[in-house]
Amino acid sequence: MDFYKTLAIAASGLRAQAGRMRIISQNIANADSTPSSPGADPYRRKIPTFEVEFDRALGTNLVELGRVQTDSTDFRLKYEPGHPAADNNGNVKYPNVNSLVEMTDMREAQRSYEANINVVSATRRMLQRTIDILRA
Amino acid sequence: MGISDIPILSMLRTRLEWSQARQRVLSENVANADTPGFHARDLTPLKFEEPAMLAPRNVPGVTLARTDGGHIAGIPSPGDGDFRSRPHPGYSVRPTGNAVNLEQEMMKVAANQIDYQAVTTLYSRSLGLIKTAVGKR
Repeated sequence: MDFYKTLAIAASGLRAQAGRMRIISQNIANADSTPSSPGADPYRRKIPTFEVEFDRALGTNLVELGRVQTDSTDFRLKYEPGHPAADNNGNVKYPNVNSLVEMTDMREAQRSYEANINVVSATRRMLQRTIDILRA
Repeated sequence: MGISDIPILSMLRTRLEWSQARQRVLSENVANADTPGFHARDLTPLKFEEPAMLAPRNVPGVTLARTDGGHIAGIPSPGDGDFRSRPHPGYSVRPTGNAVNLEQEMMKVAANQIDYQAVTTLYSRSLGLIKTAVGKR
């Protein structure tokens, strides 16, 4: 029955968006994680990817969180000579995480999550209507 | 003659199947709203003027097994409908190649739900007509 497929697809969307939230929260939590040794690289921002996956059992396309990739942009440099992780010139590398970007990303994930929830409740109502035929 | 052979009920049933299939396609669109390179799809509208749309579709359904030639053949129950879906041109394509307009999809989901509700109400009304004809009302 198509409704169960619909619910499975929406659930896969929820799962993917939840995974995205997990990665975003990882980025935000590590926004200030400095390297452990002088001159080393700090936390590198992670980027979630989505891909279409064909589910053989259901015969439909689901969405899945693909390989998590890393952001290759440069790290932020701050001049802090007294910092334990400062290099010879007194610079400390900070993660290439921009909190503003992460926040907007998070909002977007939230909206997509809500959209999937909407599909689930609409489908549920439709199923209920089908059952109501029996009662008539 | 099964109850589903009554023209109005079979028409309504086709319409219900179409709505179910559409709901599935729409949920795919919403779930893939952030997938790069994904284009939204929609079903071709159901037209009852086209006889091909009403013809029984060749989908293997569930039937009763007959172990003897004298048994009455069961009425095949329909499988999942195979309605044609086509990519529908979006208004905008994002830099990632994704062309899903979430607002538009939400509107379609809501409209589909209301359509479904209307058809199920019509279905139970039609059943009520039959009940009246039978005289058990």
